[in-house]
Amino acid sequence: MFLALKELKHGKLRFTMIGLIIILIAWLVFILSGLGNGLSTLSAATIKNWEAEHVVYENGAGATFSKSLLSQSLQSKIEAQPGVEEVAPFSQSVIAILPIDGVAEGEDKVDAALLGIEAGSFLHPEVIEGKAVDPKIKNGVVANITLKNTNGYEIGDSVAIDGSELNAEIIGFVKNETFNHLPSLFANMDFVREYKYSAPGSNNGVEDAINAFAILGKDVDAAQIEKEVDGVEVVTKSAAINGMPGYTAENGTIMMMLVFLIVISAFVIAVFFYVLTIQKTQQFGVMKAIGASNGFIAKAIVSQVFVLSFFSILLGIGLTYLTAMVFPEEMPFNLDPVLVIIYGIVLLVISVGSSLFSVRRISKIDPLTALGRVE
Amino acid sequence: MTLSMKNVSKVYKEGDSQIIALDQVSMEVASGEFVAIIGPSGSGKSTFLSIAGALLKPSQGEVKIDNKDISKIKDKELSNLRLQEIGFILQTSNLMPYLNVLDNLLLLKKMSGKVTKQDIAFAKELLKELGLGSKFEKFPNELSGGERQRVAIARSFMNDSSLILADEPTASLDTNRANEVVSLISKEVKARGKAAIMVTHDERMLAYCDRVYRMEDGKLTLQ
Ligand SMILES: Nc1ncnc2c1ncn2[C@@H]1O[C@H](COP(=O)(O)OP(=O)(O)OP(=O)(O)O)[C@@H](O)[C@H]1O
Ligand SMILES: [Mg+2]
Repeated sequence: MFLALKELKHGKLRFTMIGLIIILIAWLVFILSGLGNGLSTLSAATIKNWEAEHVVYENGAGATFSKSLLSQSLQSKIEAQPGVEEVAPFSQSVIAILPIDGVAEGEDKVDAALLGIEAGSFLHPEVIEGKAVDPKIKNGVVANITLKNTNGYEIGDSVAIDGSELNAEIIGFVKNETFNHLPSLFANMDFVREYKYSAPGSNNGVEDAINAFAILGKDVDAAQIEKEVDGVEVVTKSAAINGMPGYTAENGTIMMMLVFLIVISAFVIAVFFYVLTIQKTQQFGVMKAIGASNGFIAKAIVSQVFVLSFFSILLGIGLTYLTAMVFPEEMPFNLDPVLVIIYGIVLLVISVGSSLFSVRRISKIDPLTALGRVE
Repeated sequence: MTLSMKNVSKVYKEGDSQIIALDQVSMEVASGEFVAIIGPSGSGKSTFLSIAGALLKPSQGEVKIDNKDISKIKDKELSNLRLQEIGFILQTSNLMPYLNVLDNLLLLKKMSGKVTKQDIAFAKELLKELGLGSKFEKFPNELSGGERQRVAIARSFMNDSSLILADEPTASLDTNRANEVVSLISKEVKARGKAAIMVTHDERMLAYCDRVYRMEDGKLTLQ
């Protein structure tokens, strides 16, 4: 630490510049991971928020809600399976809503995800304003708060559902609930059914049609349920999230970008420290000649890199939060503190790890370089 | 005997050819003795010093520093031996540029562990003796060549090691400065009872030395 800090202090300009590079890299990594996280939240926040461990689909649906059609009558049979604590039916449909008296000049219809649940079910998120879904108010819907903040809808507003005769009434708001990148609109299952299956035959003849069941229970045996209940497939919640249309591709793209970014920054950082070390070959030779062990020099290098990277990454995080403040609200930016810590540690490990290349180089320096040479 | 070398040879192999840099060289230096080695360029002086300083292993022969046979010491422990038993004064620019004068001395203590109050006092005492009492906080680039070399001398005494080795310590200095530096080395060697070997090109420096050896084509002769 002694050498490391003294040198940092002495070479302020040089180390400020290297620090700056690390700050910029950290900044980029955090911004990108925030955007990625934001996007993937947007595409499946409602499912991610579920407490459920498993989801039941129609066999062959490939964990995609829109491809799955089940009868709600299966519920009691699933409930009877070992380990199952609670079962909740779920149904979804993509709709567009508009004010009941038509779209005014300069306004747009709003896309939304109409999600059918049973009142009081564990799939109902916490209401932050107004009331929860209530069977007594058949057409009452609870909307994501963006419908208020961005689109100006208020509690008590009646909205028409595009392409149908049905009207819904907004009775409450929830937050951070999106589905397929669309704001969620929670409604009574019966209401959703009435909208989805109004045309004869559109339910494929399935009675009380729904899309899927969510299962609560830690010790659920998915294979067992598939065996006992005809025509279903049971997957974990994370598989259900991955089954959301576009989710895997979208996440894959972002992950790929992040991985490349991290690998490339590893190289950049490693090269920087390596060049820095090579410049000091003569110095290290002298140190070795006067008795420094490899360990002593290695510690000096690694601790220096550690200190430099640690504070640069901290600054990078700070910078990211500052940037996040000026991002427009619609920007899907969601910086998960856990992710920040993980990526922060990854970056730190990378820079310290890359300095080990330099350390290897040092251990090969011959202390003889110090003797009989004029610089 | 602080340093004892018996029939030491060093052969560099380069491809098919061999360079005999040292040829059956013997030398003994006791504490309190200041010995000089002169000789033409390429005669093997630095090689000799490297072997005496445990930086290089001899091809043949026996080297004992403070009665320890260095061929029996593991490579890993050699750096510690250098740290504890040997003080090096090198040609030029061998101070850490980002450490001030005092820290350059204390670095040696850092290498072996903690710096104590006594260490700091000792470092200051050494620097004062070498006329650097007002330069503790200066960085090497703020010192003259002679001052820098004096710091290097102080550093070589810092660990109170028994053997001092100097490879052309005056090469980058003018005559006045060179005289000053060598007389300081000689003074410290006598006062602290060290064994010292200095390689030099400068015949005028020999007056300060107890014995003078000449190196020629790897062979050492007492003058
Ligand atoms: N690492 C090495 N590999 C091969 N040959 C070497 C090596 N080091 C030194 N030599 C050779 O050994 C001989 C002695 O070199 P050395 O450096 O000891 O000379 P020197 O007396 O210190 O010369 P100078 O006064 O110029 O410093 C030279 O011929 C040199 O070329
Ligand atoms: Mg030489």
